[in-house]
Amino acid sequence: MSFQIPIGPQHPALKEPISLRMTVEGEVITDVDMRLGYNHRGMEKLAEEKSWLQNIYVTERICGICSHSHATCYVQGVEKLMELAPPRRGLYIRYLVAELERVHSHLLWLGVAGHEAGFDSFFMYTWRDREIVMDLLEMISGNRVHYAINTLGGVRRDIDEGQKAKILEGVATLRKRSEYYFYIGANEPSFVARIAGVGYLSKESAIALCAVGPVARASGVARDVRKDDPCAVYGELDFELATADTCDVLGRVVVRVKELLESYKLIEQMVKGLPAGDIAVKAPRKAKPGEVVSRYEAPRGENIHYIKANGTDKPERLKVRAPTLANYPATVEMLRKGFIADIPLIFAAIDPCICCAERTVTLVAAGSGEESVVRMSDLRRRAIARHQNAPVKRNAVWPL
Amino acid sequence: MKLAVFLPELLRHLFKKPATVDYPFKKLAVPVNFRGTPYLNPERCIVCRACERDCPAEAIEISSVNEAEKRFKMIIHNDRCVHCAQCVDSCPTTPKAMLMDSLFELADDDRHKLKKDWVYVRAVLKPKAAAPATPPPAAEPKA
Repeated sequence: MSFQIPIGPQHPALKEPISLRMTVEGEVITDVDMRLGYNHRGMEKLAEEKSWLQNIYVTERICGICSHSHATCYVQGVEKLMELAPPRRGLYIRYLVAELERVHSHLLWLGVAGHEAGFDSFFMYTWRDREIVMDLLEMISGNRVHYAINTLGGVRRDIDEGQKAKILEGVATLRKRSEYYFYIGANEPSFVARIAGVGYLSKESAIALCAVGPVARASGVARDVRKDDPCAVYGELDFELATADTCDVLGRVVVRVKELLESYKLIEQMVKGLPAGDIAVKAPRKAKPGEVVSRYEAPRGENIHYIKANGTDKPERLKVRAPTLANYPATVEMLRKGFIADIPLIFAAIDPCICCAERTVTLVAAGSGEESVVRMSDLRRRAIARHQNAPVKRNAVWPL
Repeated sequence: MKLAVFLPELLRHLFKKPATVDYPFKKLAVPVNFRGTPYLNPERCIVCRACERDCPAEAIEISSVNEAEKRFKMIIHNDRCVHCAQCVDSCPTTPKAMLMDSLFELADDDRHKLKKDWVYVRAVLKPKAAAPATPPPAAEPKA
């Protein structure tokens, strides 16, 4: 006897709207269906109507947690299109902010993992410590969430000696705290018992389902854009790839804590070895016709932006493949054979950013549940027909 | 494996002050280069419209009030502003006509109250600023 239980689009276990339909037999999940499109905002279409420069701020707003990673991915691509070579100091500051962002994202996720596992004091402490890195980011860029530090051809703000000292001091505190969390994770039996063996994803299926980021690395797949395709700065820095081979939520926690420690290493190297010079070069307003694919290792995994230029000051097409979207097929595999009680934990373990991944809307008939694809012209025709048939609203008032 | 490893940390925090501040009564200072609300210094604006062109949120609106007097009106729609400070970066004057202050408590009960406008006469570039612009054409034939 199998039942179907819907989770979402609005559900206390989810932070953002997504619809998960679980087919369960007793307590065990046998099949999962995901439905996206509840948070679709038309970002890609919007990007086609803004200039190259304005689009930095548009792409930054694709996500609130990994805002810098989308902006960096976009800027990398556009710089390649415009054949710009950003100065090395600019690049160092750009990837310094990127690593600080990874620290804040992973600390946030650790807190969420603790919360989903029922370890709320862990959540409180990680989020308190996250404030340190948020304050550092605010000091460098002028804001806590949308740093807006990238510009075409470099970065917008320089770092002085006082800020360098503050960054090193903050990182030293955070390193001590993260090592403590690593110790807690290894020694707190109730926490380990809750997350070990949950959400199993074998190495073979991680490769077959194209998992990215910490989800893939926790299944023993050493895949990281920073190592595989080192852009600009990462080739010169010394860091290790964090992997785990337990293939479960425990592995994902371990990978993220290890990555935190690697990020501190990277931040220290970048602050100490910050080259002198300019921070940006002047960018043209137009890009030559061409196309480019830009990759960047966001905290959640590989982020891909495809940009096509047609010679004007606006992109012809911007396609965003957010890491969360790449991890959905793996999530279905992880949830299968799991328990209903593990759904929030497994789903949270991919660090889902739903608004990042919303690139399409599916039309589902409310009665029959049939899905359909409708062309824009058809939608328009339907809208006109509906408008003509609808009764005139006599008492409608313009609210402004 | 031990039991209750987290307990010493929890007990230590019983005797510590809270990590948060009592917000409406006590406020944390914002950093020096904080991106707050944009504002215009009308004496310096040369109406080049670079800020209007580059604003990603279309929050800046410049319109002509009186063509003969060179009088212009700038409206900043703070309800649309995304606080990226691109207008400050785009502003070509030195010192800048567009600036950011450190205000962040902008909430209001009506979005139209967030609008801010300035009516001003266009600033003329000082002869000092125009002077270095003339020598380069003279220098070019020499080279």
